[in-house]
Amino acid sequence: MAGALALQSGPLPDWTAVSPALILALTGLLLFVIDSIDSDSDNTVLLAGLSTVGSLFAFGVAGWFLVEGTGQAATGGAISLYGDALVVDGMSLFFTLIFTIVAAMVCIASLDYVAEQRHQAEFFSLVLFAATGMTLMSMSNSLATAFISLELASLPSYALVAYLKDNRGSVEAALKYFLIGALSSAVFAFGISLVYAATGSLLLSDIASSLGDADGMTGILGMGVLMLLGGFAFKTASVPFHFWAPEAYEGAPAPISAFLSSASKAAGFAIAFRVFVEAFPLGQLPAGVDWVLAFQVLAVVTMTLGNFAAATQENVKRMLAYSSIGHAGYALIGLAALTAGGPNANVLGASMAHLLVYGFMNTGAFLFIALVEYWGVGTTFEDYNGLGARAPMACVAMSVFMFSLAGLPPFGGFFSKYVLFYSAIEAGFWWLAAVGAVNSALSLFYYSRVVKAMWIEDAAPTLELGSKPVGLYTAVIFAAVGTLLLLPAFQPVIETAQTVATALF
Amino acid sequence: MSEWIAIGALALVAVGIPLGMMAASAILRPSVPEQGKSATYESGEIPTGSARVQFNIQYYMVALLFVVFDIETVLIFPWTVIYRSALSQGASLATVLLPMLVFIGVLVVGLVWAWRNGAVEWVKSPLAKRRKTERQDA
Repeated sequence: MAGALALQSGPLPDWTAVSPALILALTGLLLFVIDSIDSDSDNTVLLAGLSTVGSLFAFGVAGWFLVEGTGQAATGGAISLYGDALVVDGMSLFFTLIFTIVAAMVCIASLDYVAEQRHQAEFFSLVLFAATGMTLMSMSNSLATAFISLELASLPSYALVAYLKDNRGSVEAALKYFLIGALSSAVFAFGISLVYAATGSLLLSDIASSLGDADGMTGILGMGVLMLLGGFAFKTASVPFHFWAPEAYEGAPAPISAFLSSASKAAGFAIAFRVFVEAFPLGQLPAGVDWVLAFQVLAVVTMTLGNFAAATQENVKRMLAYSSIGHAGYALIGLAALTAGGPNANVLGASMAHLLVYGFMNTGAFLFIALVEYWGVGTTFEDYNGLGARAPMACVAMSVFMFSLAGLPPFGGFFSKYVLFYSAIEAGFWWLAAVGAVNSALSLFYYSRVVKAMWIEDAAPTLELGSKPVGLYTAVIFAAVGTLLLLPAFQPVIETAQTVATALF
Repeated sequence: MSEWIAIGALALVAVGIPLGMMAASAILRPSVPEQGKSATYESGEIPTGSARVQFNIQYYMVALLFVVFDIETVLIFPWTVIYRSALSQGASLATVLLPMLVFIGVLVVGLVWAWRNGAVEWVKSPLAKRRKTERQDA
């Protein structure tokens, strides 16, 4: 366990394995210091630049660790720190890549979005602290750290949703988000206490080893597991705690919607994967604690509800919010298609790879909405009419995101969805894949409505776009290039994801 | 089952003592009804206005800053208890003192930021001030 980091420059001490989280936290604190020295600072370029550099640095370090095999079987296995409270392994590094790159895109895009606002340093530091919490979520190896890191990711998110504090929609969204978050945190904490009562430990590995002794406590354990699931459902915006998502995404500043719907969702999945796979392994579960069945129900309900609700929306941002609920349903297949002795690592790895691709295409789509909000164009599909002629570059990017989200061939989303459904079939859950495929076909309907509005419909004669914001354009184009490049680069991504997932089983 | 009897007895005593005291004083005391005794707050002040008053948001800021120090104290206490014995048993300063300094340093950054951004300055609410003067004039 105490295997040193076998890096080329010689072994680093073990604690440096958490350095992606440390870098994010330090950058956030540095922004606080800058704001303390010059509290009226409106040097957005400095603030946005610093936070982008910090996120990219953390991304680089996490990527370097992943390539060097830190925490993986080749260099001595997962690195446990602080009495096993945190564990750095391939999966946590893989998810860290998602959080940091999304945070970097959001920080660049916010350059133009918050330029007119007060409290800019707070905006960026809250984004970085939320990213720190997400990184820690992917590393948590005990239910206590899971709870703390989940709160660390959630609390800045509430404040960020309310960032436009003179805007009624923003404040209302934050209040709803906060109340549902508080409710689900309470449910989650109660679940932790029940699991502790039944097994006598908070460490995931200890919970797993004492599952067999919990004979008379199966009822309590089952309730506890169900409540933990509720806590994760909130973070991943899945049924039954999904209804905050459309409100919060619609009211929040669009870059924050991008951040929440991509990074925050991935963080929820990171922690759900680890907790369920490590603490409640399938082979040793007492009868009556069948969490896989619960996830199968949730996956089907979540993807169906998300897609059907998205198809009825008139507001593009709301449509994307429901589509992100639908995608949570697809990613839930990673936990729903598990069997004792099945090809579990392939299923889980496919879900992780889908979340990575989703991180690019969904962030990009929400950042395009931010761009449209910046121009002051309306929010419905009709308002997007003829945008293609005025801003072709951004609209090409948006079309890439839409088709990729729908899972059409020449984009990254095609492979990730294909591999996800294929691995579900391989594991014997053809009906999960079938429901997913039907839902994907339905999703093409509402995604193509955006594309049709942008390129085929004629613009209203009054349509007038302002300047072309550099930061937003950079982020949108970067996300589009990422989505495109993930098609040829999908092979190494899926191989890495499935390799690091193997270590969990 | 038997060990729960003690808890039940304790509960009986807990309910019984206040009830007994109230009953005893009701029997012993003279009854002198008076209007002032039925007022909501028997403090000699005549209540004015309703209880639905908007408090200054600053109370909230101070309470929030208090929580920072509160948690800090809770975490420093166990550290002070083991500090000397940890050092005498050969732990280095870097593992005993440094993490706590880092922890306090993080809190100091937060406090300085809050201070610089005016969280501890007592801002007077113009609305509350106007109401106060209106009340005094009336």
